Amino acid sequence: MRLHASLLGLLFMALAAAIYGYTHTFPAFPGQRYGPELFPRVISAGIFACGLVLLARGWRSGQAWLGLDPALREPRQLGSFLAMVGAIVFYLVAAERLGFLPTAAIIVAALSFWFGARAWVALLVGVLASAVIHWAFSSLMRVPLPRGWFMQIVAGG
Amino acid sequence: MVALQAAFGLVFDPFVLMVILLSAVFGLFVGAIPGLTATMATALLVPVTFFMPPVPALGAIVTATSMAIFAGDIPGAMLRMPGTPASAAYVDESYAMAKKGQLELNLGVNLVFSVLGGLIGVLFLIVAAPLLAEAAINFSSFEYFWLACLGLSCATMISTGHRVMALLSMLLGLAIGTIGIDPVAGHPRFTFGNIDLMSGVSFIPTMIGAFAISELLRNGVAGEGGASLVQDKVGALFKGIGGVGRRYWRGFLRGSVVGTAIGALPGAGADIAAWVSYAMAKRFSREPEKFGTGHIEGVVESTSSNNAAIGGAWIPALVFGIPGDSITAIVIGVLYMKGMNPGPSVFLQNPQFIYAVFVIFVLANLLMLPLGWLAIKAAGKLLRAPRQLLMPIILLFCIVGSFAITNSPYGIIVMLVFGLFGWWMEENGIPVAPLVLGMVLGEMLEQNFMASMIKADGNFLTFFTRPIAGVLGVVTLGVWAWMAVRGVRDSMRRVAPA
Repeated sequence: MRLHASLLGLLFMALAAAIYGYTHTFPAFPGQRYGPELFPRVISAGIFACGLVLLARGWRSGQAWLGLDPALREPRQLGSFLAMVGAIVFYLVAAERLGFLPTAAIIVAALSFWFGARAWVALLVGVLASAVIHWAFSSLMRVPLPRGWFMQIVAGG
Repeated sequence: MVALQAAFGLVFDPFVLMVILLSAVFGLFVGAIPGLTATMATALLVPVTFFMPPVPALGAIVTATSMAIFAGDIPGAMLRMPGTPASAAYVDESYAMAKKGQLELNLGVNLVFSVLGGLIGVLFLIVAAPLLAEAAINFSSFEYFWLACLGLSCATMISTGHRVMALLSMLLGLAIGTIGIDPVAGHPRFTFGNIDLMSGVSFIPTMIGAFAISELLRNGVAGEGGASLVQDKVGALFKGIGGVGRRYWRGFLRGSVVGTAIGALPGAGADIAAWVSYAMAKRFSREPEKFGTGHIEGVVESTSSNNAAIGGAWIPALVFGIPGDSITAIVIGVLYMKGMNPGPSVFLQNPQFIYAVFVIFVLANLLMLPLGWLAIKAAGKLLRAPRQLLMPIILLFCIVGSFAITNSPYGIIVMLVFGLFGWWMEENGIPVAPLVLGMVLGEMLEQNFMASMIKADGNFLTFFTRPIAGVLGVVTLGVWAWMAVRGVRDSMRRVAPA
């Protein structure tokens, strides 16, 4: 999503104001002149100044208020973008319950299929890739990947 | 000498050598695939290296990045697509050579001069880093404050695109760096009661998001098909290299030195080094009219330069904890995780680790010759790797890697947020690299700033009283003034013609 420079400037000025405002909730430490609020305030001043420059710059440009990357206007590209974001969200939602292996296999197989692989190839690669990655991270590096229903059924607990 | 011996012992261990070899293959592969960058290779490697001792972990990163920067040249010549941004500067030149039937000469030169340039960069690292560390041992918070400021200023000054955008990106990085327990009083800031955020935004998942996920979102699927190789089989590679070396040794040396220097400057890495060196080669050439028509001269200089930059970037990273490029920004995160806080004291307390890095660097560059040769010979197959299968696997790897750092979905959420944010920033012309630099340097900057402010009791002039701090301070202010003047002049010029 491409924003007009002035909008971008306003956005960052608002962010800077929010940071500055929030620093007032930090406690003061008696006997110390500079507390945890000083550094964030300096940064917020900098962000505010950059926002002002952007606002001024946008004023003179004939840019559209909102734009979209031309590549994303193609339905297929937009679909790929959403598919990848969706895959990550799907993992977050499903992995704990389903278990790592089926979730990962579904993600790789579905994405490969969407990108144009043949169905059986996509399925095969999904199963193989998730198995190899599971082995590497779970067995070699002892990362506690989610077990979920799948492992309960396969390994009996 | 004992430390050097210990370093050799640490490196020439079967496990470490195996890690180096595997990382080399990984680096060559990632570098040769357009759309996958050396920084991305590093971000993907880190979750794996997380579970290793420091030496193999650093060895993996050093080797993979050196290989990736070279391997980026292969698709440049064969497909006219740079494998990594560091090869973009001379992609047209290489492709023009390939079209003229000089693919072998081009790839041979790229390989040999990548190795030689890389070695020169390492040589500078080996000589300069310990000397600087000796000087830096007496630095106080004032010097470190100015160094961090200077590093951040350089990063915004050199960055591509609008300077305001780079500055903004850097400030956002600093702001994100303030999330978590503050380093002076121990008060949680901007955590909104979230326990995961107490220790700050997890750095490695951020990197994976900003450098790998955003890249996948941007061009993971674009540019598929349509590309055809210039030729399938690659013949004898090393024919004619000697002649090129005798003719253009000056350019090679200039490229290597300039590359090292640019690598050492915070915020600028191999890609900018290659652009600068290509331009310099053209300016100093006796036959500049041949540039762009498939002329080897510019390739020699810039391919040496981008590999030299890798070693150069480690100089400020090891000595001051200030990253020279986005790869070493990740390396500094790794060093902190391993409890080896970068800085001059590492050179005193753990010199064997520093020497081990040097040894690995030399080894990686020497290994590049045979492995790079193999990669070029296999390029036909390598470049036909099915992207539709590769991209989903990389995505899965990112997810698991981010999870492995935090052992909780928190890492994946951070990755997703920064993947989308990084993509959105690039969409709006805000470069991502300064953000990462700001995040890495944020804590160091704040700690030294606060310590200095408390020492100076708020008197800013005290920041200039120590000799080195004074010089660094004046230079930093000079850089700021220069940027301000340029900014005002640019905006005046933009108004005038209207």
